[in-house]
Amino acid sequence: MNYFTDPILRAPTIGCILMCVAASLMGVVLLLQRRLLVGESISHAAYPGAILGILALALLGPEWEEYSFLAVLIGALGSSWLGMKAIERMERKIKIRSDAALCFTLAIFFGFGILLASWLQESLPQWASQAQVLLFGQAATLTDEHIMIYALLALGCTLFILFAFRPLQALLFDRGYSKSIGINTRSFERALFWLLLFSIVVGIRSVGVILMSGMLIAPAIAARQFSNHLKTIFLLSALIGALSGLLGNVLSVEIALRYDSLFLPTGPMIILVSATFALLSLLFSPKRGIAFRLARLASFRLRCLEENILKEIWKRREIEFAELKRHYHPILATFVLQRLIGQGWVDRKGGVLTLSDDGQTRAASIVRLHRLWELYLTEQLGWQAEKVHMSAEEMEHILTPELEERLTKLLSDPQRDPHAQPIPQKRPVL
Amino acid sequence: MSQALTIDSLFVNYERTAVLWDISFSIPAGTLIGIVGPNGAGKSTLLKAVLGLVKPLSGRIDLFSKPLQESRSRIAYVPQRETVDWDFPITALEVVLMGRYGRLGWFGKLRKADREAAWQALELVGMSPFADRQIGELSGGQQQRLFLARALVQNPDLFLLDEPFAGVDLATEKAIVNLLKTLRDQGKTIIVVHHDLPTVTEYFDWALLLNTRLIACGPVSEVFHKEQILAAFGKTAPLFQEATHLSAKSRVL
Repeated sequence: MNYFTDPILRAPTIGCILMCVAASLMGVVLLLQRRLLVGESISHAAYPGAILGILALALLGPEWEEYSFLAVLIGALGSSWLGMKAIERMERKIKIRSDAALCFTLAIFFGFGILLASWLQESLPQWASQAQVLLFGQAATLTDEHIMIYALLALGCTLFILFAFRPLQALLFDRGYSKSIGINTRSFERALFWLLLFSIVVGIRSVGVILMSGMLIAPAIAARQFSNHLKTIFLLSALIGALSGLLGNVLSVEIALRYDSLFLPTGPMIILVSATFALLSLLFSPKRGIAFRLARLASFRLRCLEENILKEIWKRREIEFAELKRHYHPILATFVLQRLIGQGWVDRKGGVLTLSDDGQTRAASIVRLHRLWELYLTEQLGWQAEKVHMSAEEMEHILTPELEERLTKLLSDPQRDPHAQPIPQKRPVL
Repeated sequence: MSQALTIDSLFVNYERTAVLWDISFSIPAGTLIGIVGPNGAGKSTLLKAVLGLVKPLSGRIDLFSKPLQESRSRIAYVPQRETVDWDFPITALEVVLMGRYGRLGWFGKLRKADREAAWQALELVGMSPFADRQIGELSGGQQQRLFLARALVQNPDLFLLDEPFAGVDLATEKAIVNLLKTLRDQGKTIIVVHHDLPTVTEYFDWALLLNTRLIACGPVSEVFHKEQILAAFGKTAPLFQEATHLSAKSRVL
């Protein structure tokens, strides 16, 4: 089945992809302005206007029903513009906190929209389905005319970001400075505002007012996880958005074909796909991903444990394995010891553990760091000698060779720590 | 000597509270001047008014004897470090290149000369090894140097720095001061919002004492005296502020 040429499927597929691209690009802008909630408020604020649009058409020109999407578009644009202005007013003039203003606007506008919709249902029931569609969107009924609008929108967003990339970057990073170098921040923000408004209002037709903000946010969040370069983030976000649009359509159709009773609407499916992208990126992206950070933490903890065990053996010269298991978690101790033996730091004869000569050197250098740090705290920072041990227990695993060098110099190559214990010397370099 | 900045009867309000009250002074070109005053004295606001970032209630501001619109290309702003999001996806070099965006307009392209200038500025503040770093990975002192480099590539005649020594290590502070003095020797005018009183005589040629009203403005040896400092920081000033605050409140519903 070809999603790009089939006369029924091509409009939803291409339309959704284009809409998603525009929304994902604008999402990056919102993400960097730290105003993600704006998307949520604007899309909800569009609802009453859209209903009013339907209402106006139903009363004034019911014979134009096929153009109802235009009425919806104009109405939605009007009311979300009003919502945005209301938010700005509340923030600037009445000094209401930004999140309060956003939520307030969302609730008031959406509530009013629901009211209008139920009234429509009772008085003009033949038009009610049009209003119903706007809540969760109906991508399957998109037509070729819609594609034209979406294509224009996506093109507008892309071209704007492409050609005005540098001033846009400056504006998003440092507004005051941008203004000081003569960038016309006001017209810029106005342009961004209208692009955002359009992408949300247009997207409502396929994804719905309730889920639209997800379309803005999810691809942007996913893209941010993978890059520290603004251009790459824009590109990735658009790509993830496009992919979500495509996959959402494909999944929705394929599932409906395979399991007769299971009809999953396209809009929510698109949101689910892009949310999955966001979730996976939050978990597994390199560097910023949670899994990566957990792994780094675990490997640090493991190293601390290893070094503590090495230190323990170093202090006692030898230790019974059974005793070590009493000090630490038995399974963990066994695992760490296997590693230490395998890597050649520790020798095991029967139940007794000793350090190899390499192990000796490594343990001595850990103790050296520990005692250097203690001496630094007492001599240079004036800590009391009884209180320095805990800090040194941590720093011995963290100090780098460069810091060690600097400490040695600062303390003029000391021999004894504050507790009069000898500081193991560095092995002389040939 | 020609005047770099002349301000005449400047009033600035936030809502109804007076932030700057009847400020008039002028600074000759080639001066390194510190703006000193207590918290909330309107120091940053004064810079922002000069830059056109806040709109004055009334008053006249001339830069090199011309209004701001005609002299914008001759001034560079170094904002406070905390005003931006340092997790923003941008590299050190890109931040410095921003100093050239003013010349490019909306759709202009960066040229080779712009890149060369950015590298030279990075070199000058000792940041060229960090050019490709994401800005969040830099220390506070490095971030401040970066902001300074961004102003340097604008190649301005007037620098406006807002608290450049806040949260910066001592080595960076000294390096920045030396750089500013070199720039002054080249004839540039440098205005620095500063909050550390003991270093004023060491760092600056001129001082401007501010506490909503202008207390004094002139060479450090002339204006930086105990009475003046007391006037700026002492007990008389808060009374004025309290009174204006009360007046602001009484006019609101």
